[in-house]
Amino acid sequence: MSLYSLVKSLADNKQLLGMRYAEWCTAAPSLEADIAAAAMGLDDIGHSRVLYGSLRELGAPDTAADEGDYASVPYLDAPWTDWSQFVAANAVLDSAFSLMIEALANGNVEVLRSRLKKMLQEERYHAMHGHSWMREVHAGDAVARAWREALEWFGPEDQEVDELLRQGKLAYGVRDLQRLLTERAEGRPPDAAIDWSKWDPVRRRTAPGAIDQATRDMLQGLAEKRYMPAGSG
Amino acid sequence: MGYVRVHASVREYDVFARKARVEPLRQVGSVVAPDDDLAMAYARATYDEERWVEMMIVPRDAVIRLWGPGESER
Repeated sequence: MSLYSLVKSLADNKQLLGMRYAEWCTAAPSLEADIAAAAMGLDDIGHSRVLYGSLRELGAPDTAADEGDYASVPYLDAPWTDWSQFVAANAVLDSAFSLMIEALANGNVEVLRSRLKKMLQEERYHAMHGHSWMREVHAGDAVARAWREALEWFGPEDQEVDELLRQGKLAYGVRDLQRLLTERAEGRPPDAAIDWSKWDPVRRRTAPGAIDQATRDMLQGLAEKRYMPAGSG
Repeated sequence: MGYVRVHASVREYDVFARKARVEPLRQVGSVVAPDDDLAMAYARATYDEERWVEMMIVPRDAVIRLWGPGESER
């Protein structure tokens, strides 16, 4: 796997995470949490734009399919229906993505070293938000799912991510990422082993499926166009 | 419309910030949160629209008032 595909997947996940956060900006349990959801959504959509913008300097995608499709975790395929899902994504998945940003920002690829550091400052507040809400909300099932998908997204040991570590492009390998996530995120890794034979190395997940049509429309701006006056679309 | 508080126990925090080192810190608002972590996240989310060089929060119950408006200096 190329560095390009890893960064593309990170950007896809960040864009979707930002959108899912933003969907809660009028539905969170308090006004403060509404505002935080909007602010974190803006942060992550901004991060995805910077990451997409860096791809040009990182070579070429591994496959053509990699270009058109979203290489994102199943957790982000459809809108969340419960605040506990927001909290678990915030406390676990967001931290997992931040660890990969840290690995890239401390690697030897100059464009990423210079552009990604600011994201980590903003992500500090996402982590605090997640930590605190985890004390308030019983998010057991959502946390277990978020953990599992985060570990799947890091990928299997001794393969692509670890190869990028050997090349110096990443500062952390799979084991480092797993250990750091255990230290920083809430909850703990799932007991059941991941069936890597089902793992899709492009989309970085074992589950089939993809983002739903409503999400796809939203990302393409179609949902907004429906509300435009006739003739202006 | 009343606003329902979701946390069992919360603290109020005042938010202070300044745009330049030569300016005094001023109170820019307040947040309500169950702990310091969430208070920091809320303060940053709510009041980050300006280019502050410094931002800090203080639990309101840590502030000791010497006197207030309409009271004589004691």
